Amino acid sequence: MTTAEREGMFEIIDAAVMAAEAYDRPDLAERLGETADRIREAEVQVVIVGEFKQGKSSFINALLNTRICPVDDDIATAVPTLVRHGEEPKAWLMLGEDDDDMALEATPISFDDVTTYATESGTKLPTEGAVRGVEIELPRKLLSEGLVLVDTPGVGGLGSAHSTAALGALSLADAVIFASDCSQEFTEAELNFLMQALDLSPRVLCVATKTDLYPAWREVQELNEMHFEEAGLDVPILAVSASLRAEAAKRNDRELNEESGFPPVLQWLAEDVVAEVLDATLDAAGDEVQDTCEQMASTLANERSALDDPSNANELVVSLRAAAKAAEQLRSKASRWNLTLSDGITDLSADVDFDFKNRIRRLTAEADKAIDEGDPLDTWAEFQPWLVNRVSSEIVENYHVLSDKTDALSELVADHFDEEGAAVLDLLELHNPITAIRGVRVGDSMEIRRPTFGARGMTMLKNSYTGILMFTVLGSMVGVALAPVAVGIGLLMGRKGLKDEKERQLTQRRSQAKVALRQYCDEILFKVSKDSRDTLRQVHRELRDHFSERAEDIQRSTASALVAATDADRHDAEERAARLADVDAELARIEQLANAVDALLGVREVEVE
Amino acid sequence: MTLVDEARGILNDAEALFESVDGPAAEAIRAARHRLDEPLRVAIAGKVKAGKSTLLNALVGDLLAPTDTGECTRIVTWYRNGTTYQVMLHPKDGSDAMPVKFSRQDGALEVRLGDVAAEDVAKLDIAWPAAGLRALTLIDTPGIGSLNAEVGERTFEFLDPEEHDTPADAVLYLMKHIHSSDLRLLEAFHDDTVSTPNPVNAVAVLSRADEIGGGRLDSMASARRIAQRYGDDRRLRSLAQLVTPVAGLLAETAGTLTEREYRALHQLAEAPVDMVDGALLSADRFVDAGPQMPLTSIERRELLARFGVFGIRISLALLRRAVVTSSAELAEELTERSGLTQLRTVLTSLFVDRADVLKTRSALLAVERTCAEHPDEPGAAALVARVEQVMAGAHPFNELSTLAALRSGWVPGDTNELRALERVLGSGGTAAWQRLAAPEAATVEELRALALDELTRWQQLAENPFSGHDLSSAARVAVRSVEALFDGWAKA
Repeated sequence: MTTAEREGMFEIIDAAVMAAEAYDRPDLAERLGETADRIREAEVQVVIVGEFKQGKSSFINALLNTRICPVDDDIATAVPTLVRHGEEPKAWLMLGEDDDDMALEATPISFDDVTTYATESGTKLPTEGAVRGVEIELPRKLLSEGLVLVDTPGVGGLGSAHSTAALGALSLADAVIFASDCSQEFTEAELNFLMQALDLSPRVLCVATKTDLYPAWREVQELNEMHFEEAGLDVPILAVSASLRAEAAKRNDRELNEESGFPPVLQWLAEDVVAEVLDATLDAAGDEVQDTCEQMASTLANERSALDDPSNANELVVSLRAAAKAAEQLRSKASRWNLTLSDGITDLSADVDFDFKNRIRRLTAEADKAIDEGDPLDTWAEFQPWLVNRVSSEIVENYHVLSDKTDALSELVADHFDEEGAAVLDLLELHNPITAIRGVRVGDSMEIRRPTFGARGMTMLKNSYTGILMFTVLGSMVGVALAPVAVGIGLLMGRKGLKDEKERQLTQRRSQAKVALRQYCDEILFKVSKDSRDTLRQVHRELRDHFSERAEDIQRSTASALVAATDADRHDAEERAARLADVDAELARIEQLANAVDALLGVREVEVE
Repeated sequence: MTLVDEARGILNDAEALFESVDGPAAEAIRAARHRLDEPLRVAIAGKVKAGKSTLLNALVGDLLAPTDTGECTRIVTWYRNGTTYQVMLHPKDGSDAMPVKFSRQDGALEVRLGDVAAEDVAKLDIAWPAAGLRALTLIDTPGIGSLNAEVGERTFEFLDPEEHDTPADAVLYLMKHIHSSDLRLLEAFHDDTVSTPNPVNAVAVLSRADEIGGGRLDSMASARRIAQRYGDDRRLRSLAQLVTPVAGLLAETAGTLTEREYRALHQLAEAPVDMVDGALLSADRFVDAGPQMPLTSIERRELLARFGVFGIRISLALLRRAVVTSSAELAEELTERSGLTQLRTVLTSLFVDRADVLKTRSALLAVERTCAEHPDEPGAAALVARVEQVMAGAHPFNELSTLAALRSGWVPGDTNELRALERVLGSGGTAAWQRLAAPEAATVEELRALALDELTRWQQLAENPFSGHDLSSAARVAVRSVEALFDGWAKA
C-alpha cells in the first residue's frame, strides 16, 4: 500500500460516503467510515521470538538504531515490549491486576525507566498491579507505515510455559522473526518451535544473530539450512550482526551496514510483510466499498427498471415485496443462519470444554505416573515447570481446537446466510446493471465476497481473545512441604531404620504431590473453562452482529428499492424521463466509484508482479 | 589406623572371601582395591557440545581429546597418567581389553577401532605421560543429547547408596548459560553415565563463559556474576558444591600456546590500534582484512580458531599494555583469565584434598554391592557390618553426609549459621584456613584462636535445647571437625 493508493482509497471512500448520505443510507455511510478507520489504523505486528540470550533485544535495537530495548549479559527481558510509531519518543507501562486479565492500564514512564521495568530486575519493583508489558513510541521511518515490533521474553527456554504463551500470541501476529545465535546449529527444541510457529503464522523469518562473534557462522548456517531441508521447512535465514549495525550507525558507514546483514531484513519487512498485510487491508476495504456500491446501485436499478417501463412496475413491486419479506425473514431470529449460529455456539462450547477436560485428565494420569516413578523431593524442582509447560501447551492446543471450530462455524453460518440471502439478492440483482456491466461480478456476488466472511471467523476470535490469558493463568503450584521432617540426617539412625523412614516419607511425599497436582489442575480447569466460555460468548455476539448488519443492509436496500419502484408509478411521463436521466447519472457515478476501486487495486497488483 | 588403611583391610578380607566364588565378584573386589591406590577419578559430564573435551584438554594441558564443531566424543574415554603411550579398548561384551592403534592428528588423538563398532565399546582407556594427569584421572563422556531420565534418587544416594557403584569419584558438570527458570538448567546433571550428582562430590562449570558477554573484555566478570547467582540457586546447591565459570577454548589454547602464536599476536599488537580493533569488530572482518594487516588471512583464521574473538582481544590488550612480555607469561595470564586457575584451585581443595575419603567411599561401596550380590556367602554379612561400621563411624564420612544434608536444605536453621556450618565442615576446602574463614597466610596461632571460637560456638549450638534434632547433630559433627584441626596441630 503506497501513500498514493491509501489517499486514492480515502478519496473513493469519501465519495462513497457522500453518495450514501445523499441516498439516505446512513448505515452504509457508517460502514464506510469504519472501513476508512481500518486503513488509517492498520498495524502490522511482527513478533520477535527465540531462546533466552539469543540477542532478540539487540536485534530490535539495531533495527531501529536505538538502545531502548534493554540488553544485558545476565538480566533478561521479562515482559513483552511493543515498539510502534509516534511523533515523539514515549513509553508506557501496561499494568494489570492479577485476576482481571483484560483491563490493562497504561501508565506513562520516562525513557530511562524502560530498562528497569522491562527486565527481570523490574518485575519485582513495587508498582500498583503487575507489569504486563511495556509500550514504546518512537519516531522512526521504518515504523511509520504501521509496523509494530514486539520483543518477547525468552525466559524458560523453548517448550516452556513462556514460549507456549508466546506461541499463543503468534496466532495474533502478522509475522514472526525467530532469532538464534550462531554459536551452534538449531537445537531440536528450536526446530519444533519453528514448525509450530509456521503453523500459526503465514510469514516467518529466521535471523542468525551475532555473526561478528563466531568465525564458523557460515558452517552453522549451512547446517541449519540442511536441517530445514530435512524437515521440509521453507523459511529464509538471514545472518545479522547487531553490533556491526550499531557501529555502522555510529560511524555512518554504509559499507559496514551492508556487512551487518540488516538491509535484507529491512527489505523482507517492507516487501514481504508490511506491503502484503497492508495490501490485504486495502483489498478488504475495496471489497467493502464495492459491496456498498452494489447495495446503492441495486436500489437505483430497481427504480430505473420501474421508471423505464411502467407496465413492468407492478410485477416489479410484487417481486420486490417478496424480496422484502425474504429480507425480513433473513433478519429475524428464526432465520436459518441465526439458528445455525446459536446451536453451533452451544455445541462448540461443550466440545471445547470436553476437549480441555479430557486433556487435563490425560495429563493428570501422566503426572501421577511420573510422581510414582520418582521421589518428589528430588524431582519436584523439575516437575513443577514440566507440569506448567505441559498445561500451557494443552491450553494452546485447546485454543487451536476452539479457533478451528470457530472458523468452521463462521464458514457454515456464512453458507447458510448466503443461501437465504441469495433468494433476496436474486430478486434485487436481476435488475442491477452494475453486476451486468462488470463481468467479474456476474453470478452470485455473495460467493465472491465469501473470503471476507471466512476471514471474519478468525477476526472475530482475535477481537474476542487477547492471548494474555496464557501468560497469566498458569500461576504457580501450591507450595508443597517436601523437605524430610526430622530425618536425623541419617547419622544417628542405623541404615535399616533410615531405609524404613525413607520409604514412609516417600509415600507421604508422593501423596502430597498428588494433592498439589490436583489442586492446580482444578484451578486451571476453572479458569480456562471460564475464559473459553467468555471468548465464545463474545464470538457469538460479534458474528451475530456482523450478519445482522448485513441482513439489515439488504433489507434496507430492498425497502428503498420498493419505495422507489412504487413511487415510479406515480410520476407522469415527463417527470419519469427526467428522473430516469437522474438515476442513470447516479448509476454511472456509482459505477465509476466501483471502477475506481478496481483501477486502484488493479494497478497495484501489476506493480507487485 | 587411617581411613584408607581400614578400607584396605576390609578389601583384603573381601578378596580372600570371594576368591573362590565364580563370576566377576573377585575381579570387582580387586578393581576396588586398585582404585584405592590410583589417582582420584574425575568425570567431565554435561550436554552435547558443552565443551567437555575442550575442558579436558585444558586440564591436561595437551590437545589430546579430539574437538570439532560437530558432536565428536562418542565413547566414554579415560585419560590416565602412564609411563608409556597406550590405548586400550574395553569391549561391551565383557571380553578382555585389547590394545588398539592410534595416531595424532594436529595433536588430537585418533583412535582406530578396527573391526569393532563404536556401539560395542564400553570404554577406551588411554595411558599418557602428562603432568596434568598425575593427580587426577580424567573421564570424558559422550554427553547426553536431551532431557530424558528423571533425576530422581539422588539426594538420599549419598547417605544410603544402593546399587550405584560409580566409576567416577567426583564429577565436573558443564552447564551453559540458560535462564534459571529453564527446565534444562539442570540437564547437565542428568548425565548419569559415570556418577549420580550429589552436593559433595560435584562441581558445576559454567562453560563457554567468554561468549556470555559477547566477547567483550569484561565478559568473564559477567560470567562470574552469573555463576555466583547459579551457585545460590536452591536446586543447584543440592546438586553441586559450587559453580565456577571457565572459558574453555581460551583455557585450552593457553595450556598449549606456541611460540609462533605468541609472535603472531605480538605482531598484531604492534600494528596500529585503530586498524586492528576495526578488523576485530567481527570475525569475518578480521580474517578478510586488507594487506596492511599483519599476518596472512590463513594465519589469522587459524589464530581465530584457537583463541576466539575474546581470546584475541584480551591477548592484544595484555600485550599492548606490556602486562606480559613472553609467551610463558601470556599463557599464564590467559590461564588465569580463562577461569582455569580458579577451577584447578577448586578441584584441589574440594577433590584432591579429600581424595582419600572419596576413593575409600567408592571402594567400600563396591565391597558392599558385591556382598549384596552374594548374600549366602559365609562371611558376607560380617563384611557388610564392618563396612557399615566404618561408614557410620568415620568422621570424614559423617562430615560429607552432614554437608550433603545441609546443602540439600534438610536442616532447618538460620541461613547464615547454616552457611558457617558448611564452611567448618569443609564446603569451601578442607584446609584449616578455609574451614575457619581465615586468610591463607594466617599463622597457626591465629588459626588456633579462631578455632577456639568456632569450637565454643558449635558446642553451644549442639547443647542448646532449642536447637532442633538435626541442627544439633550437624553441630556435633562440626565440633568434631574443629577438634580434628587441633589434633592436626598437636601432631605437627
